Amino acid sequence: MFRSKHRILMLLVATFIFIGLVCSGYGSQPAAAKEKNKDWTGTITLWYGPEAWNYKGSNDRFGWIKAKLAEFQEKNPGVTVELVQVAWAEMNQKLAIAVSGGGWPDVAAVGGSQGSVNLQLVKQGVLEPLNSFFTKEELADVFPAALQAYSYQGKLYGVPSSVVVYAMMLNLDLFKERGVKPPKDGLWTYTDFVKAAQRLTFDRNGDGKPDVYGFSTYVMPGYYEAWPFLYMDGGRPLSEDGTEYTFNSQAAIFGLQKLADLKFKYKVAPPEMGSADVAGTFQAFANPQQRTVAMEPWASWAIGSLQNRPEYKMHFAVAGYPVGNTGSPVALMGAKGWLVLAQRDKAKLRKVVELVKYLASPEEQLVWAQQAGNFPSRRSVLSKHPFANNPQMEQAQAMLEKATPLPQHLNWGKIDDRIQREIQLVLSGQKSPQQALEDAGKSVEPFVGSK
Amino acid sequence: MSSLREVGQSHLTRRGKERESQRAGQRRNGVSGVLYQHRWDYFFILPKFLLFAAFVLIPVLWAFLLSFQEVRPFGSVWVGLDNFQRAWHDPLLVTALTNTIKYTIITVPASLILALVLATLVHPLGARPQSFFRGAFYLPRVTSIVVIAMVWRWIYQPRYGLLNYFLGLFGVAGPDWLGNANFALWALILMLILTPPGLGVILYLSAMNAIPEELYEAARIDGANAWRQWYKITLPLLKPTTLYLIILDTIGAFQAFAQIEMMTKGGPGNATTTLVYLIYQTAFRDFDFGLASAQAILLFAIIFLVAFFQYRFLTSNVQY
Repeated sequence: MFRSKHRILMLLVATFIFIGLVCSGYGSQPAAAKEKNKDWTGTITLWYGPEAWNYKGSNDRFGWIKAKLAEFQEKNPGVTVELVQVAWAEMNQKLAIAVSGGGWPDVAAVGGSQGSVNLQLVKQGVLEPLNSFFTKEELADVFPAALQAYSYQGKLYGVPSSVVVYAMMLNLDLFKERGVKPPKDGLWTYTDFVKAAQRLTFDRNGDGKPDVYGFSTYVMPGYYEAWPFLYMDGGRPLSEDGTEYTFNSQAAIFGLQKLADLKFKYKVAPPEMGSADVAGTFQAFANPQQRTVAMEPWASWAIGSLQNRPEYKMHFAVAGYPVGNTGSPVALMGAKGWLVLAQRDKAKLRKVVELVKYLASPEEQLVWAQQAGNFPSRRSVLSKHPFANNPQMEQAQAMLEKATPLPQHLNWGKIDDRIQREIQLVLSGQKSPQQALEDAGKSVEPFVGSK
Repeated sequence: MSSLREVGQSHLTRRGKERESQRAGQRRNGVSGVLYQHRWDYFFILPKFLLFAAFVLIPVLWAFLLSFQEVRPFGSVWVGLDNFQRAWHDPLLVTALTNTIKYTIITVPASLILALVLATLVHPLGARPQSFFRGAFYLPRVTSIVVIAMVWRWIYQPRYGLLNYFLGLFGVAGPDWLGNANFALWALILMLILTPPGLGVILYLSAMNAIPEELYEAARIDGANAWRQWYKITLPLLKPTTLYLIILDTIGAFQAFAQIEMMTKGGPGNATTTLVYLIYQTAFRDFDFGLASAQAILLFAIIFLVAFFQYRFLTSNVQY
């Protein structure tokens, strides 16, 4: 009697379990597979610097990124993107601190001046290789130089979103005031450039000293506006394979001599050329209260600033650096982009890459090209002629086609620092170009070989 | 009357408890006895100590450990004394050390003398003027170094700067102060010297006010003039304050960074690269935290040795 009751009870329990399993979806899909297909939700941290243009007329220097992140969050319910605003000049330093503390962001932007992925981050193993997230067609659409700027040993460590080219900006009001004609097609020889600069250097207030100078630039580690002068006669900092220092060549020395001559021989550059900082140099050119320099080389972001920012709007043209002994115009280029930092959760990694692809999409690159004066990193965007009504950008685009990428080296930070500091000494009149570039060679020797 | 008795009894009870606590402490061994005896004192300093440990002690110990490692986010590698060898053989370390020593041995005595002179001039004034000057001289200390650096950048600007403008009035063409390797470090030194030494003035004034008036009276009776009184009484009795300021200013000068980052970024060339700037570059430009930690430990050792010798040779045995 008792045993039969026990059996009935067991049967009931088994029945309930069976019904429960059926109702809970047993047999429809394994739980793991279901988890895999489920979209990741959570918070993505993104570090980004201020934009040099006004998105949709807003005065917010982070207007574009905020709008895009809002759109992305709307399309991805449950995903929150936390925007951390970082000054471009501090981005590397803050990343280094974050990496050392093991608390890095999920995404970080690379500014135009830096121009490529920092290989020290690759060496530290904190960047995700991204090749598998892109199709062959997508990669083929990216300009090779931009792709190269984010690649190391065959792996892609970032997503280039735009390309930056260094070009000479000319204040056409000063050109007109002094009766100087800008170069035809933006091309000129060094002699023509010096002649123009001499006429553009003048004393406005009659105190016997020049108030307006023909040319100026600045020299600081990590900034390359002055470097095309060293390139113009064929000089290059490193050999093709990056294992040898080559700025001690006669070509580089002649180039640097030409830059120094602008200040000391022809006196067409202000005394602070070489020691002024970035902001001070730009203000001397663009600020309506100053405008004491007629020609300054800048990365192409400056075109967007001079066209779009009300406080800097001016009548200007874009030209190339003077053509040197090689007979070909010289231009340097870098690439802005996005880095995806190491992720433990693969589902999150997919979502982070999705965000980065969204931000660097051809549609967004077209917006940046048309409104911010940025060159897209993708051919398909450029084929839409975003600069059809923008003569300054068209001029810069012509230079971009022959531009040389900045060197890539694991120890580039140290190499660059030592070269730039020697160039500073040339522009302060304390070393000859030959002495400076040879001394730079000696001090970079320990770092160049270890590529 | 009864309340007085109550107070007396409660006082006796408290004293009794304290004695009991002391006896309990003595029953325990050495350190634990002291800890037990002063447990409430330690309890009240614990929050401050925890903050000190979290933000100073542990990071310093951590930096010491890092100096023996090649630091990587996914597992650092122990490299022994490699980082110290690399630091020692780096020619930039010699440049940075030379610049730092030059900066220190000029700015520290200059600031000290300036503080002493200012305090001596302010001391005879009444209480109100003294308070005013204390505040006035201390003001730059509470002003951000960033603001001070920006002002001085303008002063040193070769074309529009105040300094070259004044030199121009005398027909002298001033150089590019921050852009010339021969002048840049001197320009930074001058900036520091001409920034009023607020802390020095305040400490010297306090020390001067604490010197007993009888000493000066006795000196006056003996016919000592103001200069002899200052030289023979004030100056020797300020020795402990001077020692304190020397050590403090030396440490500050060895750690100079913000003004360099703001004004010259270590240039032109490496003319203004100091030890702390070099450490900063090594860590945050090169991501070489092991080497940067080794450089920081070397800096610590240098500062420690300098402070030790300063203390050893300048300690005063003057009491009043």
